[in-house]
Amino acid sequence: MDYQFNWSVLWSGQTGAWLFQGLITTLHLSALAWLLALSLGILSGALRTMPILPLRWMASAYVEFFRNVPLLVWMFFWYFGLPPLFPQGLQDWLFEHGAEFWAGVFALGVYHGARFSEVIRSGIQSIPKTQFEAALSTGLTVLQAYRLIIVPIALRLIVPPATNETLNLLKNSSVALTIGVAELTFQTRQIETYTAKAFEALAAGTIIYLGLCLGIARLMARVERRVAIPGLIAQGGTSAL
Amino acid sequence: MKRRSCLWLSLFFCFTAYGSTRAETTLEKVDKSGTLIIGTRTGSPPFAYVNKNNEWVGFSIDLVEKAIVPALNKKLNKQIKIEKKETAPPTRIPLLTSNAVDLVAETMTDTQSRRDSVDFSLTFFITGAQFLVKKGAPIKGIQTIAGKRVAAQQGSTNAKIIRERVPNAKLIEFPDQPAAFQALAQGQVQAYTNDGIQLAGLRAKAPKPDEWAVVGEFFSYEPYGMAMRKNDSDFRQLVNVGLMDAIASGLYFEIYDKWFGAKGEVPYPLSPDTKRFLQMQVVPK
Repeated sequence: MDYQFNWSVLWSGQTGAWLFQGLITTLHLSALAWLLALSLGILSGALRTMPILPLRWMASAYVEFFRNVPLLVWMFFWYFGLPPLFPQGLQDWLFEHGAEFWAGVFALGVYHGARFSEVIRSGIQSIPKTQFEAALSTGLTVLQAYRLIIVPIALRLIVPPATNETLNLLKNSSVALTIGVAELTFQTRQIETYTAKAFEALAAGTIIYLGLCLGIARLMARVERRVAIPGLIAQGGTSAL
Repeated sequence: MKRRSCLWLSLFFCFTAYGSTRAETTLEKVDKSGTLIIGTRTGSPPFAYVNKNNEWVGFSIDLVEKAIVPALNKKLNKQIKIEKKETAPPTRIPLLTSNAVDLVAETMTDTQSRRDSVDFSLTFFITGAQFLVKKGAPIKGIQTIAGKRVAAQQGSTNAKIIRERVPNAKLIEFPDQPAAFQALAQGQVQAYTNDGIQLAGLRAKAPKPDEWAVVGEFFSYEPYGMAMRKNDSDFRQLVNVGLMDAIASGLYFEIYDKWFGAKGEVPYPLSPDTKRFLQMQVVPK
């Protein structure tokens, strides 16, 4: 009845190469999705605080629609739901060129964009209103005030919750295996298939995710300390590590 | 540094925890709880699936209910209930070894490497890998899939063979059968490979079966067995005797006929060779 542990499956044969490939795919997918999420987040987060009603509505609709539907559903939507709307030729082209990867990037990016948006909105709203009024009174337009004053300050304030979202995004990238993206979790399952050593494979995956997340958290803690605005936020950067 | 060693220690305990708690055999466990927990599938007709009336049924489940549970009842001298849990290729071995299920009865191929981790019953079904394609598609078998987009099930033996034998096929692996079939229906992939009998089952359950074809020679040998925890020979013996008695008494063939006969869910006549092979697995009393 005892399970025989055999940790050597993790470095014998092709296993190491698979884990490495999975790691690269996870990082590639997460990095692209993160860029998308951050841009969408900044845009919609800023729009939600603008003094123009239709823009606020538009941004709110985006946030509420995307963050309140499970990520798994979005994965299926971008992979199975969207392509049939395209002409046949474009569909074939997409399927030949890694449609599942790009569906994963969009699902992850757009979903997390909605979550980032809330983080950025709270950052903007924590800035005293007088700051915005002062910007306008120096002759800046609303757009300029946002671009030059409000958004840069907000970004410096929201590093801790943004770190949180980044880590969530990285870990959520594993959901992409449901549409066939060969990322890290997928590869750990593949190792299980070849070696029937599930615990070893899962442990390797866990440790890699843990390492990645700890690395990102550490990096962001450093960023947090560097960009903290004296007076606007309490002593920046209290990192455990 | 202290923090870090705490982390490693807690991880270490996570993995050693179930090494020490396991003392009872499966028979003792079933005797105590009065329940046999089987791990099975929800989307693999006709072996194990949820039918139109929302009942969780199938050939593998029937074998457990009609061949193995009676043997258990007799051995333990009480009525044993069955509890079904869903398993999939990536989860079935961990669920078994962590005691979450006692017997995996679905569509699991018996392989040498899996035997390092679990024990198998005797073979209760034989099939081989083929392809499901849209009728009239250019794919005719494993020789014609180079450069094509092929779906497979994650963690299956078929995916492994394709990767080894046709490395330039574009293999996309899905966690379950419905997702793979959806991808085939929409054109994300041009073929879906799985065990021939499962493809036949999928085709029979499709909205328009005539639009699909199962093609190609068997490119793998897939003997299905039921999996159990390793080194629990009393339970394994009971499962095997249950299956042997069912084959010897003809009960197995009745169940086979119910699912795979001319009027069954997926017509798939038993070849004389397979029948002889099944009968020869029955050792004398």
